[in-house]
Amino acid sequence: MVSLIALLLGFLLVVQLRSQALVAQNLASQDNTSVALLINDLNRANTQLLEQSVTLEQREAALRQALATGGADAKAIEKELTVFKAVAGELPVHGSGLEIRIEGPVQDFEVQDALNNLRNAGGEAFALNGYRIVSGTPIMSRGDRLMVAGHVVAAPYVLQAIGDPEQLQMAADLSTSSLQTRVQVSVVRKTDLAITSVLEPRPLVYAQLGS
Amino acid sequence: MRSALIRLHGTVPPRVSLLASVSLATFLVALLAATQFRSQPLPPSNRFARNQALTQSVNELEAQNRRLKSQVQSLQASVKTLEDDSAQRSSSAQQANALLDTQKTVVGLLGLHGPGITITLHDGNDPNDPSDHSLGWVVHYQDLQDIVNLLWASGAEAISVNQQRVVPTTSFFYAGVNVLVNNATRLSGPYTITALGDPPSLESGVKDPDQLSELKSRSRIYGLGLAWQRSNSLRVPGYDASFVLRYAQPAG
Repeated sequence: MVSLIALLLGFLLVVQLRSQALVAQNLASQDNTSVALLINDLNRANTQLLEQSVTLEQREAALRQALATGGADAKAIEKELTVFKAVAGELPVHGSGLEIRIEGPVQDFEVQDALNNLRNAGGEAFALNGYRIVSGTPIMSRGDRLMVAGHVVAAPYVLQAIGDPEQLQMAADLSTSSLQTRVQVSVVRKTDLAITSVLEPRPLVYAQLGS
Repeated sequence: MRSALIRLHGTVPPRVSLLASVSLATFLVALLAATQFRSQPLPPSNRFARNQALTQSVNELEAQNRRLKSQVQSLQASVKTLEDDSAQRSSSAQQANALLDTQKTVVGLLGLHGPGITITLHDGNDPNDPSDHSLGWVVHYQDLQDIVNLLWASGAEAISVNQQRVVPTTSFFYAGVNVLVNNATRLSGPYTITALGDPPSLESGVKDPDQLSELKSRSRIYGLGLAWQRSNSLRVPGYDASFVLRYAQPAG
């Protein structure tokens, strides 16, 4: 019995040591490609957070300066409002980007995957067949067609994205590689793409301010 | 082993020392066996060192990420105070500030509460079947993406995933076993998706047999956890960063 306990203790001790090492190396135990993807994403995220920080510092300085001279910088507030409206899809926008044209039927999840990949690559504004899309815009399959926030759209599908064309191109290639085995797909970079459609803000009925 | 112990019965001093020796020997054998067991799945040392270097980079970048988020939040609070002060000084600033407050709610910068639904999702059981390469028992980032999309389609007014608010710029990605959202924030299962809205509408969307059919079938096959509960009182936090447009120029 004592030997059995000793045997178990010996085994448990090493297994325990091994588990602790694995917990400590949670990331290291993953394949290098996954960790590299995480590093890439973190680098990009930190750059964006730094940009947000710089923009907020500038806004803070402008507001403070106006207040110091007895006035108010309404323009600084309006500038912030304009950015938030554009992010919510409530203003027309233009800029560099790309256009993906899909000549045949696609499933809702294929378009969602493409949008997700493009957004992850820093895409800032989107439209599908003239309908503005933000992350809260539902896209559902209805037979061979798609419903974009309740609007029926059919092939050919034209997905417009504004952002860094190089980054978006990589995401577009990734998203369309499987699609291209059954439908014709083209990806064209644009130096100035206009997305003119806008979304109406939805009033909150159930949700209330405060958390 | 059992016969050796029986023979030793009755001779106390040798029994103790022999038992100690046998135990020590057994312990050492077990240690050796377990060390062997341990060394099998461990990678060679150079790979180990490489992984350690990568892990260190991730830890440093995540620490920087937390610092930057905290900096952004503190600047947002300072800017908000200055905007409120400005609103006291001029009517144009007051008007813009009122609109800005409303817009902060629209883009998800403010926490909300209300009725809705909570969906929980966790990994199922690995069948240990070498012919099954599907990884169907694991929750993937696309599963979260599909649920969030369905909830928007079912009338959700605000959504969070593991306390991360889904905002207009939110995307779902992966890094190994983790899901990445909002500025490379790592999420791991179990996942809790909270959606505010009309509970019956949200639930009927999730219950619809035509929706999330693949996920529901994986739940049956692999025991992947998928459950939902209506509630009259739920909370979703505000987004923990801000927005900057580098490429999209507002035309209006």
